[in-house]
Amino acid sequence: MSGMPPRARFGFVLLVGLGVLSLVAGRLFPDWLANTCPLGVDPTRPDRTVCELAFGGLWVSLAVGLVAGALSTLIGLAVAAVARLLGGALEQVVLRGVDAVFALPDVLVVMVLQLAGQSLSDAGLGGGLGPFGLMVASLALVGWAGPARMFRNRLATLEGQEFVAAARALGGGGAHVLRVHLWPALRPFALAVFLSRLPTAILTESTVSFFGIARMEPMSLGRYLGTSYAALIYEGGSRVVLPAWALLVLLVLGASLASQALSAGPRKAA
Amino acid sequence: MRTVLQRLARQLMLVPVVAVASYFLMAMLPLTTESESKRQVSPELAASYRRDLGIGEPLGFLRPWEKLFRGERLGTSAQGITGDELLRKLSGSVGVGMMALPLALAWALGFALARTHWRKGRWAALGDAVPAIAFGTPVFIPALLVAPAVVERGHLLPELCAALVTSIWPGIFLGTLVGDALETELSRDYVRTALGKGLSPGAVLRRHVLPNVLPALLDAVGPVATALLAGSFAAERVLGLPYFGQLYVLAVLNKQVAVVVVATTTFASLLVLVSLGVEVVRHVVDPRSREARA
Repeated sequence: MSGMPPRARFGFVLLVGLGVLSLVAGRLFPDWLANTCPLGVDPTRPDRTVCELAFGGLWVSLAVGLVAGALSTLIGLAVAAVARLLGGALEQVVLRGVDAVFALPDVLVVMVLQLAGQSLSDAGLGGGLGPFGLMVASLALVGWAGPARMFRNRLATLEGQEFVAAARALGGGGAHVLRVHLWPALRPFALAVFLSRLPTAILTESTVSFFGIARMEPMSLGRYLGTSYAALIYEGGSRVVLPAWALLVLLVLGASLASQALSAGPRKAA
Repeated sequence: MRTVLQRLARQLMLVPVVAVASYFLMAMLPLTTESESKRQVSPELAASYRRDLGIGEPLGFLRPWEKLFRGERLGTSAQGITGDELLRKLSGSVGVGMMALPLALAWALGFALARTHWRKGRWAALGDAVPAIAFGTPVFIPALLVAPAVVERGHLLPELCAALVTSIWPGIFLGTLVGDALETELSRDYVRTALGKGLSPGAVLRRHVLPNVLPALLDAVGPVATALLAGSFAAERVLGLPYFGQLYVLAVLNKQVAVVVVATTTFASLLVLVSLGVEVVRHVVDPRSREARA
């Protein structure tokens, strides 16, 4: 943490702080939050305060972002590694497939996947995936192409270095070079990619939940905003929407700053 | 031009892939009536869905496309629309996107210049904070904030408001890229030479720097155009615009399977066209791209 740029430190502190806050306020002491909320009750849900709903939603959005971001990063890493190991024409075929998935708009595809997943769940064929699991699976299925492209390009750059050529000359196979020589150099980049997926996953989930297509229970920040925005029409209704928005912005700000600083780090070092 | 055609061929592959994937995804939905759940459809509706998708018929997967070209309604209920209506709605969304694009470019240029200016002073942190706030704000939030004004004062055009809120994120994204390119260009020798010869900073920027920054802008316009079109979905939904985004969301919510298949494929085709357009503009505007590919 001491050698980390101030922006990255700020991002990490913000992200961890929000995580701890949502855990403490949203999960561990919800009664305290309900009794001390200065923003009052939600007009559309008179039994819940705005603070309870906003911090409860923060916890859900953060959890979705973390799990979906991690899954997308892992799938992207696996696809990139396989593409590099295959090499030649097969790598090009894989890359064209990656490009095709990358060209599709996230929100559109997640909506279709949610429709399919919910229909399967309703018919008892959901494989035990609840709304949370379904959302995470949809986001991971859509979000792996970006990380795959980034990892593939980074691997291609790293493979051009002398120590990799030396390892190959000494008889190291593709999988060995990847595991022993490339992975240690790729690890910080993987963390940066994961952090960059986190806000994307949270925003996509928020938008799809806002449309009313995802049935996230307990409510995420997006679903809360989607079900409460009618309050804006009434005087003072902004107190319902603004806290959830502010939490969403802070969450994405933390993840973006941490990710940008981490991806810039190795370049500066070089 | 050969490279442009090669890219077009690659992009065109996306359309059948999307068509096949979306068709089979919809065809595998268990639209049964076995459960008593409220979300299950009635036997008549389930049979109607199967007819729409041509399930069980020879070459049934062509059924949505046959309906589209014959001008028949694609869906089963009142929301089912014809191909002409679909194209009209799509043109509405494209219109909003076309209004949003110049707005986004204006945001981009303004933010890039402001960021370059801020970098030298005490406002430097704003250069990082503004993109973070813009990226952390989904389109539906600014749409929600302007919605009461649009509802209360009818003279504010909902389309213009939709374009405005849709343009913020792509504009700041482009602005960040242009700002980086601007910073690189401003540190080059030719800028110092031009300034040393007595040209004003504004003239150096206009005549020398901005033409060199344009290719960086063009690189990002393709993905941004996609974001503008997809982003307009949320704005249309909040502001009640009856265009493609609204249609798509309602089709998904109402399980209008044939509409979802055709609308998804139509949207993918539009993305290919946008991508081709950007590629052609880049080929015409940027001589370096032509030289690199020759």
